[in-house]
Amino acid sequence: MGLLELKDTTIKFGGLVAVDSVNLRVNKGAIHALIGPNGAGKSTLFNLITGIYKPTSGNIHFEKKQIDGTPTFKLTSLGIARTFQNIRLFDDLTVADNVKIGTHVRTKQGLLGALTRFPTQNKEEKWITEKVKEELNFMKLYDKKDEFAKNLSYGDQRRLEIARALVSDPKIILLDEPAAGMNPQEKVTLMSLINLIRERGITVFLVEHDMKVVMGISDIVSVLDYGKKIAEGTPTEVKSNEDVIAAYLGAEYLKAHMN
Amino acid sequence: MKNLIPENYAVRFIFFLLSFVALYYFLKGLAFAINDNYILTILTYMAINTILALGLNLITGITGQLNLGHAAFMSIGAYTGALLTMKMNMPFGISILAAGIMAALIGVLIGYPILRLTGDYFAITTLGFAEIVRVLFNGMEFTNGAIGISGIPRHTNFSIAWSIAVLVIILMVWLNNSRNGRSYMAIRDNEIAAESMGINTSLFKIQSFAVGSFMGGVGGALLAHQISFIKPDMFGFMKSIELLMMVVMGGLGSIPGTILGASLLTMAPEALRVFADYKYLIYGSLLVVMMIFRPNGILGGVNLRQLLDFSVKKKNIERKNLSN
Repeated sequence: MGLLELKDTTIKFGGLVAVDSVNLRVNKGAIHALIGPNGAGKSTLFNLITGIYKPTSGNIHFEKKQIDGTPTFKLTSLGIARTFQNIRLFDDLTVADNVKIGTHVRTKQGLLGALTRFPTQNKEEKWITEKVKEELNFMKLYDKKDEFAKNLSYGDQRRLEIARALVSDPKIILLDEPAAGMNPQEKVTLMSLINLIRERGITVFLVEHDMKVVMGISDIVSVLDYGKKIAEGTPTEVKSNEDVIAAYLGAEYLKAHMN
Repeated sequence: MKNLIPENYAVRFIFFLLSFVALYYFLKGLAFAINDNYILTILTYMAINTILALGLNLITGITGQLNLGHAAFMSIGAYTGALLTMKMNMPFGISILAAGIMAALIGVLIGYPILRLTGDYFAITTLGFAEIVRVLFNGMEFTNGAIGISGIPRHTNFSIAWSIAVLVIILMVWLNNSRNGRSYMAIRDNEIAAESMGINTSLFKIQSFAVGSFMGGVGGALLAHQISFIKPDMFGFMKSIELLMMVVMGGLGSIPGTILGASLLTMAPEALRVFADYKYLIYGSLLVVMMIFRPNGILGGVNLRQLLDFSVKKKNIERKNLSN
């Protein structure tokens, strides 16, 4: 069953076709990876799904509902959470507060609640604190909860971004290069974490450059090149696909080595 | 300390109300004890400036929208309050509330289009808006033009001003530690990430702008009823900058810092009366020195609660070590 479906999704920036009629289906419960050389349009595709861009043509469905054109902030409450390629944390807030903001779409107290501190407000704050604690423990960040986000190490910042996305109870989480800048050991931890996220019933859709990570955890890999989807399949299928090798290493290389 | 505040909400509400009444009478007693009009007047200004600066801090320090026209909302509040008290014989409390609501309404009206702008563009627009408001008050018939309004009854006094200031401080702390407050700070730190966390950024920006303007209006009305005379020139660009300086000096985004900044900059001109001609010269050089040595303000980046928590924790650890 397709949780997220892209049908002929295209976006043009002036004369440049960044994403060219891509058809893609992310199945429920899967770990789906999106790979491709630099500038292939992977992050643009993520931005299309999360509503930052609107497709020029084609459409995007999430749980059978058309979502292209929906403002970003409304998508989060539908169950789409994401992290960013260039980390975007709330730098001057503590780790705990960063994650608390992630609960925004699952809470509803407004200005009145904040200014009167009605019992409902206090109850909700307690619920938030509890939920944040759970999520920080899951990401092994709880002992750093009072530190400012900007003071964390790079790997911790990446994990904090994932914690912040997870606390919003998403159905699908979009990870934009989660392993970038991590050392080999952190990458191993990350891979087991992504598996744990899937075990919670959350679908994972990720863009990643690190082939060890991609091949190690994904069920399905889709390959983009110049905005077009050129291959899709299990990691082993994709690895031996000639178009993929050509895209990464050049057609000449392929010719020379095949003969 | 926590055990002192009762659990039940109704009981807690009465508890707060009573402590508020107690605070008012305590301040009244204090005023009687001080018994010096000059000092009391300065302390009253301090309370009014605290309210004004906290409003600006909400917009600029917490939500991150550089506002160069806070004095405009102050003037809207001052004129609304003064006219209601004088022409319609409204009770003082209602005048102040109406002044705040008027400023907040205009804040929403003006905020709706301009909060789509970011950074410098937003700052310049607020600057322009403040000038428009000043010129309008200068030209309008019922505000008495450039001559201003005089003879406003002196309802504001030390105890009233500080009671309201304390209430505002408490509410600001509460707001800061709520879902809304966190949303404002998220917008300040990274608007794109805030949006993708499901925060309706334009709505929350307008909300914070309205609340901040409300406080500007209340402060303006209190001021009008304190000096009993207002004219458009009092709420010019320099006034906005003065308010901004209180916030920047104390620490952008920090509530204790803003209170400190407002208090210091209220007292400074009095203490430096001899150098009154060089006021802005001193302000300017002070700001330069600040930017070099403490760019985040005196209390910028200092979380008082965390500091307190830390000292408590430290004590507990020491106690544990002793008992072991």
